[in-house]
Amino acid sequence: MICEECNERPASVRYAEMADGHVRSWNLCEECARRKGMTASLAPFAGPLVNILKGLLDETAEQGATPAGPTCPECKLSYDEFRRTGKLGCGTCYDSFHSELKPLLRRIHGSTEHTGSVPSCLEADFDSRREVKRLRAELAQAVRGEEYERAAELRDLIRSKADGRAPAGDAEP
Amino acid sequence: MMMSEPPAWLGAAGPRSDVILSTRVRFARNLEGSPFPTRATERELIEVRERIVAAIAKSNYLTNALVFRMEETDPAIRRVLVERHLVSSELAEGGPGGGAIVGEKEIVSAMVNEEDHLRLQCIRAGLQPVDAWRLIERIDCELERNLQYAFSSDWGYLTSCPTNVGTGVRVSVLAHLMGLVRSNRIAQVLGSVSKLGLSVRGFYGEGSAALGGFFQISNQTTLGQSEEDIAYTVERVAGQLVALELEARKELAENAGRQLADEVGRAYGILANARMISAEEVMELVSSLRLGTALGLIDSVDLGTVNRLLVITQPGHLTYSHGGEPTPEERDSARADLVRKELASCE
Ligand SMILES: [Zn+2]
Ligand SMILES: [Zn+2]
Repeated sequence: MICEECNERPASVRYAEMADGHVRSWNLCEECARRKGMTASLAPFAGPLVNILKGLLDETAEQGATPAGPTCPECKLSYDEFRRTGKLGCGTCYDSFHSELKPLLRRIHGSTEHTGSVPSCLEADFDSRREVKRLRAELAQAVRGEEYERAAELRDLIRSKADGRAPAGDAEP
Repeated sequence: MMMSEPPAWLGAAGPRSDVILSTRVRFARNLEGSPFPTRATERELIEVRERIVAAIAKSNYLTNALVFRMEETDPAIRRVLVERHLVSSELAEGGPGGGAIVGEKEIVSAMVNEEDHLRLQCIRAGLQPVDAWRLIERIDCELERNLQYAFSSDWGYLTSCPTNVGTGVRVSVLAHLMGLVRSNRIAQVLGSVSKLGLSVRGFYGEGSAALGGFFQISNQTTLGQSEEDIAYTVERVAGQLVALELEARKELAENAGRQLADEVGRAYGILANARMISAEEVMELVSSLRLGTALGLIDSVDLGTVNRLLVITQPGHLTYSHGGEPTPEERDSARADLVRKELASCE
């Protein structure tokens, strides 16, 4: 049996990875197994998690999106190249490929919204954004429930918050 | 030199060290305004590295950290860094601009310009995801005063690979699950762990003894959950895994105690007397010895020594102490000598 990673040397170990209840396994040669870590060195690095991403990327390619896709103005990476390597080129790529990445992130993470920590320099601004978002949802519910007095209160609150952060509020972090 | 003292995480002094070898928490971060490493020029890489090194020097936790600039670092030392779990083999073999920063006792360290500009990590003995996360969080906050990270309000910390975006947090534990392997329950147990949003990786299958029974369990997703939730989830699930492993070990000791004691005794006999031994054989025998030590079937060796044997017998460590590339025979001889010496010092 030939190693499934390098397609060169004979495979001698079976490497398994499980996610979402699915098991994927590969027959690897000693050299490639060592690269995946966890042979004799037990190194907890690298690994075929990338292959899951690659699978998703190939899948979206087959669905026949635009063949070349957009290019990031900052680092000049094309979406097509990202699809081949699985690696983005810079922070701006996330804006440049926003509409392509969004469904991909949903598939990978089951979410498209960061709910973890925020750099402290952005924290105040960020908290108020999250608060406004929450108030808007509450407002929509109040309107649906015909609680007009509450809705008016919420509207004023949202307006005051939006004014409060107006100078820095709309600038992208 | 850093190699003179074994890293703290090998000490087996952590919670549930009988099953969990180590816990690792890492944060992936990139600097705002600089291309990610795969897209950067050598000059940009070096510039990023020096900015990170300067910021780390100002951190209270990493003031005395050792800095390794890959292009200036001896290949033997780079391999030692890999075997100590401080850098990936990609970084160790990569070109100029890469770096490693290693804090005291190797508890906190950083990889610079691997896939991301900065991979800050904490490695602890045993099962300590929440503690390790808290420590890394504090250091990350310190660094942030001097480094501006690439961050989006929707998608969090921006990383080279979209599988890390959001928190950029990967919490993983290295578990020794020989009991579950022996009782043929490993596939079923790990399968159910993987349904809880965690991923499991390792080598297993027929001839399981040769594989050592070590598995890595880590969070699969990084976006849509808080860092704290991720750390607690891994801690909780790994805790359940420990309980299942201990149950399997107990059964094994009850049903096949004699055979197990025989196997462990033989493993010890070979390790304590061999004059030439390969890394794979050490791995296999040390795995048995670890199980026997944890079950109290053998008392001539402690868990810390067992853990240490797994790392210091690696090729890079042997080459480093040999002072030059040994021949395969020299390496197997040096390995056997080292193992005998370690075991003798326990008695
Ligand atoms: Zn291979
Ligand atoms: Zn870009």
